[in-house]
Amino acid sequence: MRIVVIGHGMVGSRVAADLAAADPGARLTVLGQEDHDPYNRVQLSSVVAGKADPAALALEQVGPERARVLRGVRAVRIDRASHLVHDELGEAHPYDRLVLATGSAARIPDVPGLRAPGGAAEESPLVDGVSPLKDLDDAERILRRCDGGGEVVVLGAGVLGIEVATGLAGRGARVTLVHHRERLMERQLDRDASEIVHGALETLGITVVTSASATGVDAPEGRLETVHLSDGSARPADLLVLCTGTVPQTALAEAAGLECGAGVLVGEDLACPGDPDVFAIGDCAQPPEGASGLVAQGWEQARRLVESWRPREEESRAPGPPRGTGGDLVRVKAVGLALVTMGRIERPGPGLHAPRSVRLADPSGGRFTEVVVHEGRLVAATIVGDEDAAAELSAAFTLRTPVPRDPVHLLARPLAARAAAPAASAADMAEDDVLCQCNGVTKGTVCAAVAGGCGSTAEVSRATRAGTGCGTCRSRIQELLDASRDREPAPV
Amino acid sequence: MPSTPSASAGTAPSGTATHCPYCALQCAQTLTPVAGGGADGAPVLTVEGRDFPTNQGGLCRKGWTSAEVLTAPDRLTAPQLRGADGVLREVSWDAALDHVEARLREQRERRGADAVAVFGGGGLTNEKAYALGKFTRVVLGSRLIDYNGRFCMSAAATASNRSLGLDRGLPFPLPDLAGADCVLLLGSNLAATMPPFVQHLEGVRSRGGLVVTDPRGSATAALTAEGAGVHLAPVPGTDLVVLLALLHVVLAEDLVDHEYLAARTTGLEALRASAAAWWPERAEAVCGVPARRLRQVARMLADASPSRGGRGAYVLTGRGVEQSTQGTATVTAAIDLALLLGLVGRRGSGYGPLTGQGNGQGGREHGLKADQLPGYRKITDPEDRAHVAAVWGVDPESLPGPGVPAVELLGMLGRPVGPSALIVCGANPVVSAPDVSRVRERLAALDLLVVMDTVPSETALLADVLLPVTQWAEEEGTMTNLEGRVIRRRRAREAPGGARSELWILRELAARLGVPTGFPAEASAVFDELARASAGGRADYSGLSHERLDREGSMHWPVPGPDHPGTPHALLDGFPTADGRARLLPVTHEDPADPLRADAPLHLVTGRLLEQYQSGAQTRRVPSLLAARPAAFAQMHPLLADLLGIEDGEEVLLRTRSGELRVPAEVTEEIRPDTVFMPFHYPGEGSANLLTGSATDPLSGMPGFKVTALEVLPAPRPVPVPDVVTVQQRSIV
Repeated sequence: MRIVVIGHGMVGSRVAADLAAADPGARLTVLGQEDHDPYNRVQLSSVVAGKADPAALALEQVGPERARVLRGVRAVRIDRASHLVHDELGEAHPYDRLVLATGSAARIPDVPGLRAPGGAAEESPLVDGVSPLKDLDDAERILRRCDGGGEVVVLGAGVLGIEVATGLAGRGARVTLVHHRERLMERQLDRDASEIVHGALETLGITVVTSASATGVDAPEGRLETVHLSDGSARPADLLVLCTGTVPQTALAEAAGLECGAGVLVGEDLACPGDPDVFAIGDCAQPPEGASGLVAQGWEQARRLVESWRPREEESRAPGPPRGTGGDLVRVKAVGLALVTMGRIERPGPGLHAPRSVRLADPSGGRFTEVVVHEGRLVAATIVGDEDAAAELSAAFTLRTPVPRDPVHLLARPLAARAAAPAASAADMAEDDVLCQCNGVTKGTVCAAVAGGCGSTAEVSRATRAGTGCGTCRSRIQELLDASRDREPAPV
Repeated sequence: MPSTPSASAGTAPSGTATHCPYCALQCAQTLTPVAGGGADGAPVLTVEGRDFPTNQGGLCRKGWTSAEVLTAPDRLTAPQLRGADGVLREVSWDAALDHVEARLREQRERRGADAVAVFGGGGLTNEKAYALGKFTRVVLGSRLIDYNGRFCMSAAATASNRSLGLDRGLPFPLPDLAGADCVLLLGSNLAATMPPFVQHLEGVRSRGGLVVTDPRGSATAALTAEGAGVHLAPVPGTDLVVLLALLHVVLAEDLVDHEYLAARTTGLEALRASAAAWWPERAEAVCGVPARRLRQVARMLADASPSRGGRGAYVLTGRGVEQSTQGTATVTAAIDLALLLGLVGRRGSGYGPLTGQGNGQGGREHGLKADQLPGYRKITDPEDRAHVAAVWGVDPESLPGPGVPAVELLGMLGRPVGPSALIVCGANPVVSAPDVSRVRERLAALDLLVVMDTVPSETALLADVLLPVTQWAEEEGTMTNLEGRVIRRRRAREAPGGARSELWILRELAARLGVPTGFPAEASAVFDELARASAGGRADYSGLSHERLDREGSMHWPVPGPDHPGTPHALLDGFPTADGRARLLPVTHEDPADPLRADAPLHLVTGRLLEQYQSGAQTRRVPSLLAARPAAFAQMHPLLADLLGIEDGEEVLLRTRSGELRVPAEVTEEIRPDTVFMPFHYPGEGSANLLTGSATDPLSGMPGFKVTALEVLPAPRPVPVPDVVTVQQRSIV
């Protein structure tokens, strides 16, 4: 079996490594347009925030003994009739199965002045000081430009925009976050949640401008100086970061006559409807359930594809359905702001079997939680400003564990075991409460030993065994000894 | 009633200095005979804690009451043979042994040497473990031996050997922990299972550095309260995700010990790639631990590490993380973490697993494990085979090859290709193995079951031949504790009635089966041979003897010569791998073998209670311990109880793929609401292992005890659960 993978990013590298492990007989070729080894793109915002070392981003990849990996080599044409992929160096790679994992590109908005003058609009480079954040080169460019200060405009307050804004603010930059809609992260947040996030961002020193877009960029001598906004204001800027979404990379597929919508259309089996030998996974694909733009979905698709191709006795079978519901869990990696959304919050109507939705809004506390429970399971939630609840609800959502009968418990108390309770002081204990757990000795027994003349913890231990196990109750024995001495005047 | 401690604790000059019969902490005890003891159940020995580096004089209530098992009313004192009517009846030793000999010969003649299998226990002395392994390989010629330590230490042992080239439990003395700034305790409830251990954590707690991971707010987790540290309560089955996130943070924030990594390890890049995929925010959604907490713990550990100016840090693992179908991978990740921070093989820092059973360590070093020969030698290595064969006076070619791990062995019993006879020694697999219904079924399919035990345990009651043996206070020998320290067990009284040491029984059987020499009944003589067999092996005891241990006190192996002072700190000068370096190994998280599903949406975890030990065969015979914890229960959160509509103490029905049972609920906030805990010390309907599955870790054979998909239903009818063990009668063919 000859398999060609186009794309060596997070999803392409994963599917190649897993295919190599699952099928020792597979002959693999991987074409990656970036010169880098595969790395963790999700962590780029953490690199920008100074929380992750770029050297630590490298991801697992298939070894040279198992696959031919061509780095920095772009695929230029797919010849489906002859089952060949042509690369930019003129080599043709034959395949039995072709996996498209070409990912997505940053969407660059059409703002006057954004690109250097001259050349075709789509091709000419962005002016100095303007960058998306899609790859390591972008991250390094941003870091060079914003080294612990300066004026920054972040365009777009989706997940990435909020991560970049908080990350750069944390490094000391003066950040303006501009969003074209009234609500931040409008795909995930409703108005109340958005307002609380808005407040939290301002607390972190970020200026948030909503319902506004960039109308122009001043870059005399090719270097960014000012960003003009639709509200009429002009912001001086050393750096403009474009977090205005992504576009699936479908050009190769389209040129090969494969059907594309927003992404390369695939069925539940991840194959293109018009060609059973071509598959698409990750950000470039458009599966029936829709693309989430999250790596979890791409990795899950890689797992399903490899699982379905695993050599086995019987015929290889179609990939199973997507597993779990964790795919649409969105966790914003923002320092100082806990923000997680999962599932889709729909306003349920009345009715016995309708989903139940309860919410807690605490604007001055910077806290918001909404949960939607249906048939005893958590089906959607938004959590702002409560990291314990965020973690616990994420796990409950991912694992589909049963939730309390009354969903209000999900807001009122964390789901995990509560923090371990400290031991009560001896004074607070009843006579028959066990004071020494290791030996099952009650407070009454210890008191009796003290009354009977034991004058030290060692003597109490000898008489009762209390304190001879882990020893943590010795302080309470001492407390009882002290209390006894306080009551009785010391003999002269 | 517990015996009254004497006023002269610890200073009984006439007493016998020995160690507790239970866990691997092996607390030092002094045993003193009681004049006129034994009548009407009066204690025959008083027990005192004795000062020793591990227990510092402390004992838990199991240790204090240990002497009561000596005079258990149903103590076995004569051999028993099951008659044609299915009833066990007392017979003479000659009758019992002649019967065993005849039946073993018959099975072997009919079906070959592998017709007979041996199942040992981690509570047996080094001498017994050694003799049992030798008996299996030399007298029976069978490859099929394994032991219940497989359920205990196999994942940690496999991972330690793979990564460090050595498995000695803790490669440092326990009191070293006192100086650390941070101790990460993964899946251990030592405050309940080995309470005197807690004394060694006082220092780190006073500095706020104790980190405990446990889905329950256990007694050990409670030690982190009041600023003493941090408790993480991950989703069961996701410990590896927690560790991957810690690895990720340590690498992403460049907190590693570069000098150490360059000088003492290999494999950094592959590990980096496997950890890169688990940033804390991704881990959070799987393990339920907030990303900020994961970062906090990673930084605590790093700041405590010597390369960053800390006083020292330790990573310790317990069964909570090891008893998993990815147990070896999880321990590997724990070792990776310790290596990245430069902790292993350095004074004041380190990695180690916390051994559970009294001699789980020595048992695996000296021959109870399917693939090992004494001295931690490999049964597949020609040089190792030659060395041991020379000591045993046999042709190396005559030694069998490797057997199979415990769960697989139990699954083979009585099948056409499996053994038809089994000798059980120091184990109670009918309670302690996973999926005990299947174990019972396999035992029933045997032609011959021989059990050596001190009391009629649940497994003993199924035997065709039941041989009564000595208890700890009635025998000489050595044990190897959780820190690789070889200690002496000493006799304080004579065994009652006809109870005999396993060493004597093996000698008698060997002679009957045609091997008249090589099986001395004296423990010191067995030890001397063990020392020779271990010479040059990884676990080298060749410089030790009973006499030297009596003269100089306990010693940590390796002790390669009579003048060698022992090795309290192993790995300081390098790792016993081919290139002297430790291996950083990449790990991958897999879902549990039995993931949650719509009709089993909760996690079952099993574990131990302070008042009971392992299968409970001993501790359930101590009245005060039984009174404290008389029966099994299902611990659950009030929110789960509310969902089920039940109150504390009401019965619930627990159901898994393996089986179902009814127990009362114990409602407590100290557990995740998605998790139910059951202690595994109980037989019959309360046996937690009716519910566990027999899937194992592919690398170590460790069963996945610690996470099973569970359905819970209210079962409010007051079911009178008979706590009497039903004796399954089996006819003898």
